[in-house]
Amino acid sequence: MMVRLRFRLNHEDVEIHVRDPASTLLDVLRDDLGLTGTKSGCAIGYCGACTVIVDGEAVPACLRMVGLLEGREVRTIEDLGGPEGLDPVQAAFVKCAGLQCGFCTPGHVMALRALLDEEPEPDDERIRRTVDGNYCRCTGYVKILDAAREAVALQKAVAVRNSRAGAATSPEGRRR
Amino acid sequence: MTADLNRGKEPMTAGFRGKAPTPVDVTREVPTPTRELPVTGLPSGRVLPPPIGSAVERIDAAEKVSGEAVYAGDVRLPRMLHGAVLRSPHASARVVRIDTSRAERLPGVHAVITGADTARIRWGAFRPDLYPLAIGRVRYVGDEVAAVAATDAETARRAAELISVEYEVLPAVLGLDEALAEGAPLVHDDAPGNVAHEFAFDRGGADEWFARSDVIVEGVWQSARQWHGSIETIGCTAEWSRDRVTLWVNTQTPFLARQRYATALGLPTRSVRVIQTEVGGGFGGKSGDDNTSVICAILARRAGRPVQLLNTREEEFLASRPRTPMRCRVRLGFTSDGLVTAKDLDLIADNGAYTGKSQAVLGAATVRHDALFAYRAVRARSRLVYTNLVPTGAFRGFGNPSADWAVGQAWDLAAARLGIEMPDLLLLNAVEEGGVSLHNHRIGSCELKQCIRKAATAIGWYEKRSNPTPHRGFAMGVSVHVSGRRSFGDYDGSSAIVRLTEDGRAVVITGEGEIGTGARTTLAQIAAAELGLAVADVTVTRPDTDLTTHALGALASRVTYVAGNAVKRAAAQACERLLAAASRQLGRPASELRVEDGLVHAPPALGEDVPVRLPVGVVVRAELYRPNGEPVVGLGSFDNPSEFPDGVRYGNESGAYNFAAEAAEVEVDPATGAVTVLELAAVVDCGTVLNPPLAEGQVEGAIAQGIGMALTERFDWAGGAPTRPNFVDYKLPTSQIMPRLHVEFADSYEPTGPFGAKGVGEIALDPVASIVASAVADAVGVRVHELPITAEKIFWGIRSATDRRDGDRR
Ligand code: FES
Ligand code: FES
Repeated sequence: MMVRLRFRLNHEDVEIHVRDPASTLLDVLRDDLGLTGTKSGCAIGYCGACTVIVDGEAVPACLRMVGLLEGREVRTIEDLGGPEGLDPVQAAFVKCAGLQCGFCTPGHVMALRALLDEEPEPDDERIRRTVDGNYCRCTGYVKILDAAREAVALQKAVAVRNSRAGAATSPEGRRR
Repeated sequence: MTADLNRGKEPMTAGFRGKAPTPVDVTREVPTPTRELPVTGLPSGRVLPPPIGSAVERIDAAEKVSGEAVYAGDVRLPRMLHGAVLRSPHASARVVRIDTSRAERLPGVHAVITGADTARIRWGAFRPDLYPLAIGRVRYVGDEVAAVAATDAETARRAAELISVEYEVLPAVLGLDEALAEGAPLVHDDAPGNVAHEFAFDRGGADEWFARSDVIVEGVWQSARQWHGSIETIGCTAEWSRDRVTLWVNTQTPFLARQRYATALGLPTRSVRVIQTEVGGGFGGKSGDDNTSVICAILARRAGRPVQLLNTREEEFLASRPRTPMRCRVRLGFTSDGLVTAKDLDLIADNGAYTGKSQAVLGAATVRHDALFAYRAVRARSRLVYTNLVPTGAFRGFGNPSADWAVGQAWDLAAARLGIEMPDLLLLNAVEEGGVSLHNHRIGSCELKQCIRKAATAIGWYEKRSNPTPHRGFAMGVSVHVSGRRSFGDYDGSSAIVRLTEDGRAVVITGEGEIGTGARTTLAQIAAAELGLAVADVTVTRPDTDLTTHALGALASRVTYVAGNAVKRAAAQACERLLAAASRQLGRPASELRVEDGLVHAPPALGEDVPVRLPVGVVVRAELYRPNGEPVVGLGSFDNPSEFPDGVRYGNESGAYNFAAEAAEVEVDPATGAVTVLELAAVVDCGTVLNPPLAEGQVEGAIAQGIGMALTERFDWAGGAPTRPNFVDYKLPTSQIMPRLHVEFADSYEPTGPFGAKGVGEIALDPVASIVASAVADAVGVRVHELPITAEKIFWGIRSATDRRDGDRR
């Protein structure tokens, strides 16, 4: 017996049929929807590699039962950037060499994206707390923190540019 | 105090005093006076061609930040199945009977395999002792017994649980002492006394030099299994086409892996093709010593469909090859004025149930550290011992961090006994360019003394040590690493092909690969610099054993140095051929031509006043599109100028050595014993820094792993296995625990390196655990001898010291 579920994924309506509504969002994204940008590092909610944004909140996809997502809004790394260029958070990671193997990167990027959506100018303590929620085995976090701070600056620059141009305030807004 | 503090700044000409006997002219063996070091900010004043030394963005950054990069688990093939492995729950047992029928009946299952379905061949990098799936016996909790391929991973896992195995439990050896005890059960019948490998030497006459020593320090230190903890676990996707299998693997070493996997599968090497996927962290753990890919290949053959097999995080803790724990008894001798005389090492390493690379790890732990100092004599006895525990192997630093854990702390004890500040003691004994160790390490470029001085300055050693703060302590340590090592046969070379394209780019064809360090980016920089192209116009291939050059891959900090040289030579030849073609096309001597910014430049032709500029792509196309036209391709190769060490580890293992000095300040909470590493300064001599942010990233990441090894990474064990093998128990360092880091590079230039560069990937990890322990001892007087350094151990150490003091008073 398949269970039908409908939710918003990266600004599109999706309808999926799963055998087990207790399947994790992580498995459904990766195996059923082919969105492999979200990574699995531990599958127990510890490492943050699978971080996605659900209704504006950064959450580990490995702990979210897909059956509870009916009607909700999910954003994954695939939603960021696009033909117009990278999201400011992504651009900051590139600029600051905030990645090595890159396996933790989508998770870090999504966690910071959620933070900046909620608070465009977070203080350093909040930045630190956000980065502290995700493991990285490669970088020692120095350049991830650099990237996080740079992301705030880049985002501000984008906001200023957009308000001058009188355009929508974010790439997200534009796409909606 | 002041006199001591200034010692390091005086010329080091002190000879042996006191008990030094007269017949030996010891003054000739003493390090020569420190020479003035370059402080130019450039590698010894050299001018480097762009983009060498600049912060070039990683060529793979965009695909990684966007989630597009394809890691092992992201490979998708039509009709692909998913695998799962059944593992032994016993540390030692005989496999009496396996019944797979229930698993086979589960809907969705396409293949179930056991040892009977394998070629029954034992394999391994140095000592072949591992079957792809158990044959008759299991030797540790986690040993692979059977495997399943099914339509999805969940079904495969459920099917694996349906396989019933009857075991006859056998006595196990769960520690070094048990393994070495008289009459201990044998892990492998062909390893009497459970010794997998051993060697011993006495170079220079240790007893004689200890007899001449004024101060002797001694101690025993125990290191622990440390897991790589790459956020991506080990994984493989296999697909057969007739008698040939293609494996998409997140391996660091595709060519070495192919060779070993072919052996394990009972196939000729030509029947296996390995393609490297994106690698989500390696650190030695993905260098082809485990069974995952082998099992995946057998499943795919059985199922007649592609199969993907990924370790779960729990399995990664059982199936990968963590750092080899070692018990090290160290004795060091010194003259009263601080010159080191002799070192005696008794080393017992825990191999676990299978050998992998631990044999080579043991070798490195035994000898490499000795390249740091002018020891007069070194004696060692080293044994690799089988236990019924998780097999161990290569982890960043190889044997160095375990050896440093012991030897570094022994040096710290010596500094205290001698009353000499650690930086001064190290400066007094540190190796210099031209030094030759007792094991024939021939030291080329060496700025170890510069590293020590800069690290001392960075941490504020002398000021802070003269105004001590309660419960805070300092320590310093040094380390040496190779830039490539001759280990797999008498070859540590690399070759590369540089193809210039008709659209004006360069494609660097090399099989070395990328595991996250940025190797492909630095190789692109090297090619770009040599060719006069922009880095954006250089592509570096991913390894494919069918398509790229043969390469040993990412191990032993070798890629920058060994592959960098090969790429540089290939690019130079391509450039030469390009200019020869341009010379023919323009009718100008090649000596008048040069390439810059993607253009071939020539001075104005006779009677003209505009210089000639021809896009590289135009020259390449014209060279191709003519009768009997040819592509513009360069080939380059480089073999590390090193020696294959003999059975007792004598031989110059690398053509270039990298050095580091690190200093730490820690604070201990006397009420709980909790340690905070406040600051850590690391100064590294890696020759020319090709790309500063990437090199810094290597140092910062290595230090983080060192902090984890020192403080947070541990398991509770029961019955020979970690009780909860996941990140909840095994704590990787998070950003919060990281100290303030001060990372710096020595002004240095390695003449045999590409643009003066040496390796940098591993060295910064080596001294961290040791200096954290020594700094704790400095802070609260408690010396920890067994990793990790926990609050508990320190708390009880402080308590028993207080009790002793109170007892004395009573
Ligand atoms: S995979 Fe979800 S937190 Fe680790
Ligand atoms: S970049 Fe490798 S885990 Fe973070």
